[in-house]
Amino acid sequence: MNAFEFTHEPIEPAALSAALADPAAGGFAAFEGRVRNQNDGRVVSRLEYEAFEELAQGEGERIVAEALRRHGALRARCVHRLGALAVGEVAVWVGVAAAHRAEAFAACRQIIDEIKHRLPIWKKEHFADGDSGWVNCTHCAEAARVPDFDYSRQLVLPEIGTAGQQRLAQSTVIVIGAGGLGCAVLSGLAGAGIGTIVIVDDDVVDPANLHRQPLYTPDDVGRQKAGAAAARLAAYNPTIRLRPMPVRLTAANAKEIVVLGDVVVDCSDNFATKFLVNDAAVLSGRPAVLASVYQYEGQLQVVRADARGSCLRCQWPEATRDGLVGNCTESGVLPPVPAVLGSLQAMEVLKLLLDLPGQLRDEVLLVDLLELGQRRLSAPRARECNDRCARIRSVDAAAPTPELEIALPLAEAAAQGYRIIDIRNPEECAQSPLALGGHESIPLPRLLDAASTLDPRLRYLLVCAHGIRSRAAAEQLRAGGSGNVWSLQGGLARQG
Amino acid sequence: MARVHLRYYALLREQAGRQAETVETAAQTPEALYAELATRHGFRLAQSQLKVAVNASFTDWTCALADGDEVVFIPPVAGG
Repeated sequence: MNAFEFTHEPIEPAALSAALADPAAGGFAAFEGRVRNQNDGRVVSRLEYEAFEELAQGEGERIVAEALRRHGALRARCVHRLGALAVGEVAVWVGVAAAHRAEAFAACRQIIDEIKHRLPIWKKEHFADGDSGWVNCTHCAEAARVPDFDYSRQLVLPEIGTAGQQRLAQSTVIVIGAGGLGCAVLSGLAGAGIGTIVIVDDDVVDPANLHRQPLYTPDDVGRQKAGAAAARLAAYNPTIRLRPMPVRLTAANAKEIVVLGDVVVDCSDNFATKFLVNDAAVLSGRPAVLASVYQYEGQLQVVRADARGSCLRCQWPEATRDGLVGNCTESGVLPPVPAVLGSLQAMEVLKLLLDLPGQLRDEVLLVDLLELGQRRLSAPRARECNDRCARIRSVDAAAPTPELEIALPLAEAAAQGYRIIDIRNPEECAQSPLALGGHESIPLPRLLDAASTLDPRLRYLLVCAHGIRSRAAAEQLRAGGSGNVWSLQGGLARQG
Repeated sequence: MARVHLRYYALLREQAGRQAETVETAAQTPEALYAELATRHGFRLAQSQLKVAVNASFTDWTCALADGDEVVFIPPVAGG
């Protein structure tokens, strides 16, 4: 029996109390936190709790152990519910057995307070009017302890001072993607003392990430990045709050995640996510700081949700498709490149929050680290977007195209009648030829040019190394009217 | 004929095999200029996937080019 546990089943206080029975205990105190039917004057119909369990488990046990030690109680236990809860249900239970009532009350109070302050748990409130939202535990920031983290070297800057530092401490920044850019952004913001940093990334640490993602060590390989980064940064700066969210940003959750913060920072590695961040930020009235890198270069843009500013779609009105231009996996990257661009992003975030001069506005910054050149290009708002952005549609509606991808062994796909087209470039094909009879080899650019030659009576399955380019190509071909094209999910890498 | 200064980024830099060049061109617009350069350098990105900036400002593909203009074709990049 762990001193701290999560459960997806209803909490049964009677059984939990009975399990803490101790003949030496003259006092027993229990606390039940229950789902309330309203918050800030709005009627709540139900709640969902989500936790980053890997991180919370150990921290929860430490909290219980600390309370036992400090108050000299005999036994204690805390159980936190996760998942969907109805009004009135018990969300968290704490029980303490001690020799006398004073220790039992005190330890019980300490455990529930610390659980609220320290554990990475979120609650999503569903309101009676159909609306819903993830709740940020803002009251917790006030209770932050005062460890040895000294901001004096930035407090002396005349533009910052105590007032500026306080503004940073009260800010929440959402970072989408904890990769190369994300590591630099997170380190910069954590060091500067941003009060709450939310880290959104559903990926796990891969050995190939380490060279440019210094928040992780080889021991973290296989761990979720959001949790690993949060743990590392929490140890680095104990005065701030880290909120790992190991989820993928999707059309379904983008807006509710973006509104949690004062600023959102896009450190993702794909266009689909970048457009999603851009759209959700503009629609939610939050500024977004976007960056991308390619080999030795990078681009930086700050999007403001005002009626005059330009956004990503002013520059790239057609949702640019992933896979048609290179990414870090395919094209390579040196560690300082995302580090520089990520640091520039962190700097723009601080400039925004502190209202410092020189902010990027309606511009794109191009940085070339080989020639050490940079260009600040004016990027005005699109003409058709006079008062209201005309290019962003709702971010809730976009459902993924059904069945764009197929996960099948290639031989079976061929047996089912799919015409297999290998869209890799000739060098890749020569290096690792496709061991399959009857397929065609048509490099991606040639295939896109020759879309009209596809036979509408056949079904085509496009394959590439990792399924990224083939998916993009299938999307593009479908958008052009060829409905009979599919992409091999995960590419040849997943064929084993 | 106009003399224009060109800068290449990302995929275009790789395909052109250079970061910058100055060319004499009969092209009147960035659109015509890109078509000309795509043939010369074997650019594989379609014009619709790119943006163009003339003299440090994003602009239309059909604006008029003048002698001495600096033209930058910018491919989208997504690495993170």
